[in-house]
Amino acid sequence: MMKSKQIVLFLCFAVLTAFGSVSESAAQHISDEELLKDTTGEELQEVIRSYQGEKAVLVNVWATWCAPCIEEFPYIVDLKQEYEDELHVVFVSADFPSQRDKALEYLKEQNVDWATFFKTGKDQPFIEALSDDWSGALPFTKVLNKEGKVIASWEQGAEYEKFERYIKKAINN
Amino acid sequence: MKLHRLVYVLLILLAVGFLAFLPIEDKLADRLEIGAKAPLTDVEVTDVSGEVLTLEEVAGENGLLVNFSCNTCPWVEAWEDRYNPITKMAEENGIGVIMLNPNAAIRNDGESMDDMQARAKSSNYDFYYALDEQAKLAEAFGATRTPDIFLFNSNMELVYTGAIDDNAKSAEEVDQPYLKNAIQNLVAGKEIHPKTTKALGCTIKWPK
Repeated sequence: MMKSKQIVLFLCFAVLTAFGSVSESAAQHISDEELLKDTTGEELQEVIRSYQGEKAVLVNVWATWCAPCIEEFPYIVDLKQEYEDELHVVFVSADFPSQRDKALEYLKEQNVDWATFFKTGKDQPFIEALSDDWSGALPFTKVLNKEGKVIASWEQGAEYEKFERYIKKAINN
Repeated sequence: MKLHRLVYVLLILLAVGFLAFLPIEDKLADRLEIGAKAPLTDVEVTDVSGEVLTLEEVAGENGLLVNFSCNTCPWVEAWEDRYNPITKMAEENGIGVIMLNPNAAIRNDGESMDDMQARAKSSNYDFYYALDEQAKLAEAFGATRTPDIFLFNSNMELVYTGAIDDNAKSAEEVDQPYLKNAIQNLVAGKEIHPKTTKALGCTIKWPK
């Protein structure tokens, strides 16, 4: 009797452990290389274009040292989950190369589990590739609808409501 | 006739009321265009030395260099090794130099006058570093980030704006020393090219 109880307990433990490791691996199914890929402005435009006809896209350029970027980052992650079927988020870290590991660490802390990008190359072509309206100040956000039309873009940090308003507008336009 | 006038007035009131309820976005002031006159040149600002200055007073015989800068931005830190050499070059060429701190929203978080004085001392600033207390100058210039450069000629007309050069992290690896070239060409009476450039930087922390 005692032995069968022990077996049941062991089985329960084994099942729970197995589920635990499955969910853990699900959260970390993306490799570091995929989670933060080097990119140029041109490559980024191709990535954004690849969602045309499929989803609205929000592009956000951020950096670990940028306080308003860190403040708004979780809002964008939440909204990506909220509008999963209709919205894709393209995060681009503009950290200095020496801060790459810090950026990667932050993405993991925020449970980002999709491909994001790391800016390489000179500033000017990168800025110009993303938007004529962007002066280079961080953070920068651009929201495009499914057809690739720019619905809104802005410098400076923003609140959850502002992101959601333009995401909805992009989805419904 | 009176009825018509009343209708017009009502229509105007309705239009004003309607506009008041439209969503307002954080629209920043337009950036000064090349050729535009320097604004607010008679507004007094206080330097880290305690001296009270105006842009008019800082300007040299050949022009004025204004850089919106701050204490808390890694991009400022990255470019900072070029601040003194560029100041020396500008002043030797009759161009006055001033850095203005516009980060009004975080004065208690690294951007106070005390912090500016400490930074000027620790980084051996050899130029005016003054407080743009409520970011009025930054707003009038249409500055967006730190660092952000505005170079004016002897008539106080904008001749170059944007980045210091094309490599924040390494002065040795600069391909395009935009600002140095602009200063040299300004003094030599040559065409400045490019007149506007862009670079990444920290957003200005506007007063709330």
